[in-house]
Amino acid sequence: MKLIKSIVRPNKVDDIKDALDKIHVAGMTVTEVRGHGRQKGHTAVYRGKEYNVSLLPKMQIEVVVADEMLDAVVQTIIAAARTGEIGDGRVFVLPVEQAYHIRSGERDVI
Amino acid sequence: MFVAASSAGRLPAMSTTQPVDPESATGREALAKMLAAARREFVTGIERGSGGIRPHARFSDSVDELIRTVVRAAHVHTTTPVAVVAMGGYGRRSLCLYSDLDLLIVFDGSIGAPEERFVKAVLHPLWDLRFTVGHQVRVLSDFDELERDNPEYLLALTDARPLAGDAQVFEAVRERFTRAVVDGRAEILAALLQLTEQRHERFNHTIYQLEPDIKDAPGGLRDIAAARLLLSLLDAPAVASAIERDRLDEAEDVFLRLRSLLHLENGRNLNVLTHELQEKAAERLRYPGAQSQQRVEGLMGSYFRHARLVAQALARARRLPGLEVREATRVTLGLNLELTADGIAFVDPDRAAVEPASWLLAFEAAFEQNAAMSDQALDVFERHASRYGVSELLPRAEDRQRLLRLLTPRRGLYARLSDMHECGLLSALFPEFKAIECRVIRDFYHKYTVDEHTLLTIRGVERIATSDTPGRERFRAIHGELRAPELLVLALLFHDVGKWKDENHAVESVRMAQPMLDRLEVSPEGREDVTFLIREHLQMSRAAFRRDSEDPVVVRQFAALVGTEERLKMLCLMTLVDIEAVSTETLTPWKEELMWRLYVDTYNQLTLGYGDEVIEGGQAAADLQASRPPDIAEGELARFLEGFPRRYLALFRGEQIYQHVRLSRDIRADQVRLFLEQKGEVWDLIVVSRDKPFLFSNISGVLSYCGMDILRGFAMTSESGLVLDAFQFTDHDGYFRFNPDARDRFEAMLQDVVAGRQDVSEMLRRKERGALRRRGPRRVTPIVYVDNTYSQRYTAIEVVAENALGLLHRISRVISHHGCAVELVLISTEGNKAIDVFHLTQASAKLTEPAQVALKNDLERMLEEGYEAH
Repeated sequence: MKLIKSIVRPNKVDDIKDALDKIHVAGMTVTEVRGHGRQKGHTAVYRGKEYNVSLLPKMQIEVVVADEMLDAVVQTIIAAARTGEIGDGRVFVLPVEQAYHIRSGERDVI
Repeated sequence: MFVAASSAGRLPAMSTTQPVDPESATGREALAKMLAAARREFVTGIERGSGGIRPHARFSDSVDELIRTVVRAAHVHTTTPVAVVAMGGYGRRSLCLYSDLDLLIVFDGSIGAPEERFVKAVLHPLWDLRFTVGHQVRVLSDFDELERDNPEYLLALTDARPLAGDAQVFEAVRERFTRAVVDGRAEILAALLQLTEQRHERFNHTIYQLEPDIKDAPGGLRDIAAARLLLSLLDAPAVASAIERDRLDEAEDVFLRLRSLLHLENGRNLNVLTHELQEKAAERLRYPGAQSQQRVEGLMGSYFRHARLVAQALARARRLPGLEVREATRVTLGLNLELTADGIAFVDPDRAAVEPASWLLAFEAAFEQNAAMSDQALDVFERHASRYGVSELLPRAEDRQRLLRLLTPRRGLYARLSDMHECGLLSALFPEFKAIECRVIRDFYHKYTVDEHTLLTIRGVERIATSDTPGRERFRAIHGELRAPELLVLALLFHDVGKWKDENHAVESVRMAQPMLDRLEVSPEGREDVTFLIREHLQMSRAAFRRDSEDPVVVRQFAALVGTEERLKMLCLMTLVDIEAVSTETLTPWKEELMWRLYVDTYNQLTLGYGDEVIEGGQAAADLQASRPPDIAEGELARFLEGFPRRYLALFRGEQIYQHVRLSRDIRADQVRLFLEQKGEVWDLIVVSRDKPFLFSNISGVLSYCGMDILRGFAMTSESGLVLDAFQFTDHDGYFRFNPDARDRFEAMLQDVVAGRQDVSEMLRRKERGALRRRGPRRVTPIVYVDNTYSQRYTAIEVVAENALGLLHRISRVISHHGCAVELVLISTEGNKAIDVFHLTQASAKLTEPAQVALKNDLERMLEEGYEAH
């Protein structure tokens, strides 16, 4: 089982959610985050005064999937999130050691 | 408060003749049966929809019996006199099906091992019965002083009721606590108000929750208890107190019926009346209606009505003598109004009842005096508002203007509008608002009814305008720049009225706003702004959160939608408060940042990038052609528009544009045509001429020479070299007011200066020197910002500086001296700050790097010299 953590453009969340729905991945956690990668923000000017916007608003989407689904889900996220411009974001894949259902206490077989 | 023990000696023990040993299996079984029987009886009542005050009291009595049984058995462990006491809601005999048991165990003597065994013998059986017990164990001497650091405990103690044990111990507790309360009344009141405030904060201080927590929400059960406690601790007049208690009893009965249903359905102590449970409760309580939605609306209508009564009772109790230091004096304000300790009141309420046109004066006085509206005045409105229509409430133009002025964001606006809403006056003034009273829209994120959401948006604007919330300074600055912030509030008031229908509510809201705009005789420009804001109130959040707002195309499209900086500012604030009023969690700093970035990018597009977007046909131009008057030919209009920025079409209405066409007809070089119109304090000036060097500098120089304070304006050049300048200014020195032939002289002077027959710089020099001498210390640090990337055609120079006589003339003179052609200008004045953006070319091209540096240096020097001269 893997945790897929994606940092994407805010306006891409609905596209990613729809694309994941189509391959029957329904559960996800979405968080508002700020940060930068190579994009490194830019300097904006308002009425002649510069202000740095180095931490850009992004969305973080976390999905836990079975190992055999990993490639399909990662590719789906990338396809839905891509614009081709700098700032499209990143996808990270992390191993999941254990998973439990809080209501029942039941442990998932990994 | 603090129920007395019924008799001296041992408190009542269980009535059963069979002793029960809770530590044995049969004893535990007997207790479980007792509880099950009590719950069964309670459930039967709840299922019949009669789980109100009495069934709660009966269930409390049954649990009392059970606890007495347990306590009697526990007495084998200690001989120390002890009393077991019910506190909080249980003390008030409002124990619900799965409520927590708040118990106090007090020993008259020190606590050792035997007493600990007693406590365990009381608590363990209750835990085995799956009660959640909140217990406090004390010795008698603990009550010699109030536990000031434990406000929840203090408040729970005020409802103490003896259950079992030694009555003398309980009496001793009661005496000591009552004595301590006399000395510590202020602390108890402060604790109560603090806890109430913290609780209300969790619910955004509104009773109008779509899924209310019957116990904790404002206007709920805890507020009933708080109001009762205030009435008992403060000096409430006996009659008023009795009326208030009856109202509270009625509300409590309704809420307890609902809460008991919630406990039954949830199987545990959960008190939130969710949408799903609203349907079930409405059916069980037999609210009328063929469809579930109608029954739910009946239920929630009843809930809100009672919550409102509770909130009002609590507010009144908070105003009782003893809690607030209040001036007892009355101040007569004239016009049948006076300022009393309760707020603004009518000297003669009977007269006020038949003079509805005077009611808004009371609200105006409330703002002026920074006072609340008294219960007396609100009572007059509540009893008589339904008798009057808009024509009686707002008979004259000045009354309609007064209503608009009342909507200006300032401290107290939300409170006064809420007053109007509660007493029915808001719906009398704006009948369209009635459609959304207590309107419930079920979705995942809205927390409040539509009417309350609307009022909360206005509270949001009030807070932006009046508070220094960190991180909000930038939005506060935007608010400070609005020309007519009352129009923003008017738009907010109507932005969701269309939600009475389950269709596209923005379109319906626009439709419903039109009769109101007619009635209030809002100016044509104001109407367009209000209509725009209502129609497009969702567009900025869509662009900021659902589209890639870093994409220049998205920004350009959004800039085209808003058209002007004024509308951008209003829409930005509207979006911010609209999101914030959905729930306390909806507007995150992350969203605020996205909004701000879109605002800045769009502002820059509107001020720095608009010159690239010129009129080349399009729908707006086609509409102008379609409604063209007969004296203007199609070709003439097309030639006039050609090359003007598209922004021109956003700034002027059709008839104004046709007038500009007429002004420009057959105009010759050096000729100036103008149109001057006064609108209240502000003058509108349109100047049409042929482009030539120093033109803009000369026109602005003449205005300054005549003492005009330029507020805002712009200059545009068409492809054929036609120049259209528009200024709004105030006539500070009364030039037009005091000189009968001022208009002719002004026009003649303008003609002479533009034709080069007079040198306005020379004329101004003496005046400027005098004005500079009179200037105080500098409050705005000048900024000259050169942007050579935003526009494809022009170099943009943005100058921010302290507003001063002739400033615009001096800036544009420096620009012209550098051989630059002024193609476009945007002028705005915000308080003492002038913000001017010039779009320039030099030899028909953008400025070279050295030319930019030279111009920037000269402008900065000129701005500094102004102060050096001082």
